[in-house]
Amino acid sequence: MNLGRDYLVAGDNLIRLEKVSKDFFIGGEKTRVIDGVDLHVDKKEIFGLVGETGSGKSTILRMMNGFIEPDEGSIYLMDKVLNRDSRRELVKETSMIFQGFNLLGNLNVIENVLLPTRLRKGILKDNVDRARELLSFVGLSDFEEAHIRNLSGGQKQRVAIARTLITNPRIIFCDEPTSALDEKMSYEILKLLKDINESFETTIVMVSHDIGVIKSVCSRVAVMEDGRISELISLSPKGIIPVSYKEAFLSD
Amino acid sequence: MIEKYIKTFNSFRTPLLQSLWETLDMMLAAMAAALAIGMVLGFVMFMTGAGGIYRNRTIYFITSGLINITRSVPFILFIIVMIPVNRMILGTGFGVDASKIPLGLIGISLFARFTEQDLLDVNKSIYETSYALGANIRQYFTHFLLREARSSLVLSFTSTTVSLLSYSTVMGIIGGGGLGYLAISEGYYNFNYELMWIIIILMVLIVHGIQTVGNYIAEKLDKR
Repeated sequence: MNLGRDYLVAGDNLIRLEKVSKDFFIGGEKTRVIDGVDLHVDKKEIFGLVGETGSGKSTILRMMNGFIEPDEGSIYLMDKVLNRDSRRELVKETSMIFQGFNLLGNLNVIENVLLPTRLRKGILKDNVDRARELLSFVGLSDFEEAHIRNLSGGQKQRVAIARTLITNPRIIFCDEPTSALDEKMSYEILKLLKDINESFETTIVMVSHDIGVIKSVCSRVAVMEDGRISELISLSPKGIIPVSYKEAFLSD
Repeated sequence: MIEKYIKTFNSFRTPLLQSLWETLDMMLAAMAAALAIGMVLGFVMFMTGAGGIYRNRTIYFITSGLINITRSVPFILFIIVMIPVNRMILGTGFGVDASKIPLGLIGISLFARFTEQDLLDVNKSIYETSYALGANIRQYFTHFLLREARSSLVLSFTSTTVSLLSYSTVMGIIGGGGLGYLAISEGYYNFNYELMWIIIILMVLIVHGIQTVGNYIAEKLDKR
């Protein structure tokens, strides 16, 4: 892959957006959904993107992994320019966790975890061992052969997390990772993501509309409004507080 | 009464077997065409249609239009209109082999439309999922789309097969023969109602068999 003069060294910036804009056609009308966004995410950071529905946060996330191409501006991933030619290689260094888990129902748990390796070099013996390790890391050792339809929401998201880790990604993108889960499950998933960030030094970019979620794990957060970043705030994450329904009601 | 049916069955054993073979011959050719070409056209429509990854109005319009035309012309007229085409391809407009052309075309059209619908039913985010996990376009088809749509595709192919069986019964008008033709020509026009009913029951059993096999395979493949 020849990246020529576009190859740039930019220190600790793992993701860099420069004056990025994007128009969508909504109801036949051209609408600017992302408007000149400058942004960078550093190594080992847990970076949050918050904002109301339609503020552009999910679009930004999908531009960061190259799924959506910007109309203006440039995006650099691991100091390499992200474009049509480079995106399918660069995306392999990243992974994504979705709100709806997006597991394949016709594969069992361990086959889902192994899928990304199958898309790369094929499944090796080492991969299977690694998949078992990861399933134990996410607490699903006993569910290797289980069908996806028999899992709870939290278990599904943990399978999805094991699936993202199998390729040792440098960046994990999370799109509303806890929105489909209840409080207790959300806490477990966030704790897991925090553990991953600490033990594998994986950079995490997280989109959420839930301020509590962002506050508990993110070190920096961009607030999106009408396709622009209205605020960029550094946080000292207060840690993840386990909340049971009982605790939540009694602590007030 | 039963004896009468047994007697008819025994005396028509040879033409019944002959017709069954003709039906099978036509069906297998049409099924192969539906599977090979119909499925490809279904993928083409899925990819070039609204929301597809290679949106192309012209290609979609032409493919979809041809399929609609094939399916909307009354089949018996379609067979007649196709006679010159058969002649062009095979040198003859009539017979079992000539029947395979209109039957194959209707099979292609039916299964193409079914395939398109089955693919549209797969979770919309599957392309994004495949991209994010590092799949290329070919892997998107094989590891994601086909895998998640496979049991619906099996059921659709079963329906296509059953439809083809019923379409095949009118092939007699261009000398295609088959069970349906025997039931009409020998059974109905020749007042041999026993033979007609034997064939009807035979057809019911065949359809039931096809559907049972299709359901079984689809269920085995579906772990969702």
